[in-house]
Amino acid sequence: MLSSLPEAIGILLSLEGLLVLVLGTVLGIVLGAMPGIGSTVAVAIVLPFTLTMSQAPAILLLLAVYAGSVYGGSIAAILINTPGTPQSAATCLDGYPMAQRGEAGLALGWATVASVIGGLVSAVVLIFAAPQLAAFALEFGPIETFALILLGMTCIVSVSTGSVVKGLMAGMIGIFLSTVGGDPILGEMRFTFGNWQLFAGFNLLAVVIGVFALSEVFMRASAPLSRVSELVAFSGIVLPSRAMWKGRLRNLSKSVVIGNLIGVLPGTGAATAAFISYAEGRRSSPNGAGFGKGEPDGIVSSEAANNAVTGGALVPTMALGIPGDAITAVMLATLTLHGITPGPKLVDDNPTLIAAIFAGFFVINLLLLPLGMLLSRVAAPILRVREAFMMTAIVILCAVGIYFVRGNPFDLLVMGGAGVVGFLLRRQGFPMAPLVIGMVLGPTLELTLRQGLILTDGNFLAFFTGHPIALVLAIAALLALGLPVLRALLRRNAA
Amino acid sequence: MKLTYMIAASLTVAATTASAQDFPERPINLIAPFNAGGGTDLLLRGLAPHFAEAIGSDVFVSNMAGGSGTVAASALQGQRADGYQLAYMSVTVSTIQPQIKNVPYGLDSWTPICSIAASPTLLFVTNDSPFQSMEDVVAAVKEEPGKYVFGSSGPGAITHLTMVAAFAGLEIIDDMKHLPFQGSGPAIKELTAGNIQFFGDTEILMNRGDFRPLMVFSDERLENFPDVPTATEVGIEAPLNELYLWGGLFAPAGLDPEVTATLESACEAAVASDGFGAFAANSGTVIKYRGAEEFDAFYRAQYESNAALIEAAGL
Repeated sequence: MLSSLPEAIGILLSLEGLLVLVLGTVLGIVLGAMPGIGSTVAVAIVLPFTLTMSQAPAILLLLAVYAGSVYGGSIAAILINTPGTPQSAATCLDGYPMAQRGEAGLALGWATVASVIGGLVSAVVLIFAAPQLAAFALEFGPIETFALILLGMTCIVSVSTGSVVKGLMAGMIGIFLSTVGGDPILGEMRFTFGNWQLFAGFNLLAVVIGVFALSEVFMRASAPLSRVSELVAFSGIVLPSRAMWKGRLRNLSKSVVIGNLIGVLPGTGAATAAFISYAEGRRSSPNGAGFGKGEPDGIVSSEAANNAVTGGALVPTMALGIPGDAITAVMLATLTLHGITPGPKLVDDNPTLIAAIFAGFFVINLLLLPLGMLLSRVAAPILRVREAFMMTAIVILCAVGIYFVRGNPFDLLVMGGAGVVGFLLRRQGFPMAPLVIGMVLGPTLELTLRQGLILTDGNFLAFFTGHPIALVLAIAALLALGLPVLRALLRRNAA
Repeated sequence: MKLTYMIAASLTVAATTASAQDFPERPINLIAPFNAGGGTDLLLRGLAPHFAEAIGSDVFVSNMAGGSGTVAASALQGQRADGYQLAYMSVTVSTIQPQIKNVPYGLDSWTPICSIAASPTLLFVTNDSPFQSMEDVVAAVKEEPGKYVFGSSGPGAITHLTMVAAFAGLEIIDDMKHLPFQGSGPAIKELTAGNIQFFGDTEILMNRGDFRPLMVFSDERLENFPDVPTATEVGIEAPLNELYLWGGLFAPAGLDPEVTATLESACEAAVASDGFGAFAANSGTVIKYRGAEEFDAFYRAQYESNAALIEAAGL
C-alpha cells in the first residue's frame, strides 16, 4: 500500500480531490456545531452526493464530513453547553465553565489543538499499523468488551461533580433508560407498555440533547433575564501558547492512545473513549483536581480521544470489513455501491484507493486547524445575539435535528421529557454526565455480560480465569474505584 | 355557511374522483424502515430516480428507523391508503416481527405493490474451519453437545432463522448455543475470531470475510458455488429448506386498485431499467420482481410458512 502513496497523493491534489477535502471538512464542522445534528446525520446528508462521484472522492467526502463533525461538536459544547453529539458531552464539562469565565476562545483553542493532534496521530497509526491493530481487535470478544465497559462505568465517579451518590443515581437512571425497548438476547419487549413507539427504546441523541441543551435553556429561563446581550465573550479561537502546554503533554499523549485503542474495537465508539479518557485524565493529570471547573486538561482529554477514535474506527473497517460504528458502516455501504467488496482483501486489492483514503484522512485533520479558526470567526457574531433569541434558536435547532435523525415525532417528546427531567434533576444537584454515560455504556454492558454468560454457561468467574485481558481490565476497574477511598482512609489515619 | 359546506363537499368529491385517475398528483414518499446508509436505504435511493421517471412524479426517500423496522411499519399502518406513502419491507419486518412482537399490524394490514429483491441465505464457516460438510457438523455436535455456538444479527432476524432452519432441520439445535449480536458486522467479527463457529447470511455479506459456505437455503444450487448443496439435498424438509431475504414495496391495506396498478407498473419499469440494473450489479442486490397479485400470494404464503420457523426458534 505504501508504494501506491505517490499515485494516491495525485488523486488528492486533483481539483476534485481538493474541493472534496475542503468543502467536506467545512460542511462537517458546520453540521457538527449545530446542536442535534450528530456525525451520523451529517454523513447521511452528504451520502446521496457521493453516489455520482468516483470511488476515492466519494469516501474522502464522507471522511471529511465525519472528522469535521466530530471536531465541530466541540464548538457548540464549549460555547453554548450543547453537545452536538454524545461524544462531545465530556467536552462540555470543562469547556463551558471556561467559556463562562470569559476564556471561550482559549477553550476552543485547546479543543482545536487536541482534536488536530488526536486526529493526526490516529491517521499515522492507521497508515502504518492497521493490520496489527485489527488483530488486536479480534482479541476483544464479548467478555473482554464487558470488562472494558466495566472500567468505563467507573468514570461515573470522576464526572460526578458535587455528590458522588447523586452521580451514581444519575448513572443508574441512564442505565435504566437504556433497558427500554427490545431485549438484545431474547427479543422480548421491556418497559414499553404495549406502545410501539418505544420498541426502539429512547433515542440516545434525543435524551442527550434534552438533558444538556434543553435543561440549560430551562435553567436560564428560570433565572432572571439577562439584559446583557452576550452569552459568552468570544471573538475567535485563541491558540494556547507553548508555555501553557507545560505539564500537559503526558495527558495529551495518554488521551490519544486511549482514543486510538478504543476506536479500534467495534461497537464501543467515540463517546465511550471520550469519557474513559476524561476519567483517566482526572485520575492521573497533575491538574486533576480542577476537572469539572474549567480545566484545559479536561477538554484535551475528551477532544484528543474522540478525534483519535475516527482513525481507530477505520482500522477494523478497512482491514477486516467490519464497521466500527454507524458511520463507518455507511462508508462500507458506499464502497459496496462503487463495486468494491469490503473485507480482509480490501487493502491488497485496492492499494491506491486505500492509500488515497488514508493520506486524505491525514490531510483532513491538518485542515481542521485553519478551517476551524476561520469558521469560528464567522460564528462569533452569531453568539452576540440576545440571550432570548439565542435560546429560542437553540430549541428550534435541537428540535429540527432530532426530528431529522429518525423522522419520528415521538423523539421530540422524548427530547422534551428529558429536558424537563434534566432540569428538575439539575436543580436538585444531580450531574447529567453520569446519566449520559449510563445510557451510552448500558446497552453494551448488558449485551456483553449476557453474551459472556451464554459462552461460559452462566459461570461469571470464568470471565476472568480464562481471559487475561478481561482480568487486567477488571483489576484496573477495581483500582479506579478503590484507590481514592483507600487513599482517603490512609490520610485520615495519618492525621 | 351552507355554501361553504357545498363547496367543501364538491371539492371532496372532485378530489376523490381525481385521485384514482390522476394519481400521482404530488410527490411519493418511499419509507426506509432503517437508518440512512444501510442496505435498505441504499436500495431505495438507487430505485427512487427510476421509479420517479416511470411514474412521472417526484419520489423521495425518508428514513424512520427503530425496533428492527417495526416502528416505521407501525406508523404507516395507521395512515390513509392513498398511495403516496410506501414502505420497503423485508421478510422480517412484514412476516416475522408481527408474529413475535405485539405490533399494531399483521397479515391483513397491507396492499402489497411489488417485490424487488430476494437473496437466498447461506450457512457459512471460516475458511480454516474443520467442517467440510453438514454431516461433519452433525457428527461433531452429537459428539460434544453444548460445545458449538452459532451467531445471529439479533433475535428474530433472518440470520437467526437461517441458523434455526439449519439446526432444527437437522435436529441438533438443542445441543447448540445461540449467541445474538446487534447486526451482522459484530457477528462476522466473532466468527473470524472464533467465538462462534457458524453464521448465516446472504452471499454479499459472506464475501465480506474469509468464509466458506456449507449449504444454501435455495431451491437450486448457486451459480457461484456449484459444489455447495441446497438444504433440501442435505436432508432438511419444507418449510425449513428455503429461506430468502426478500423485500418489496407495501402500501396500507385498502388501496384503490387503479392506484395499485399505476404503482405496480411504475415499479416494474423501474426495476427493469438499465440504471437500476447497474446499481443492483454493483451492490450485489439480486433482483426478483413480482407484480402486485403474485407478490400478495407469495407474501401470504411466507407469513404462514415462517410461523413454523418462529415456533422452532422458540420466539
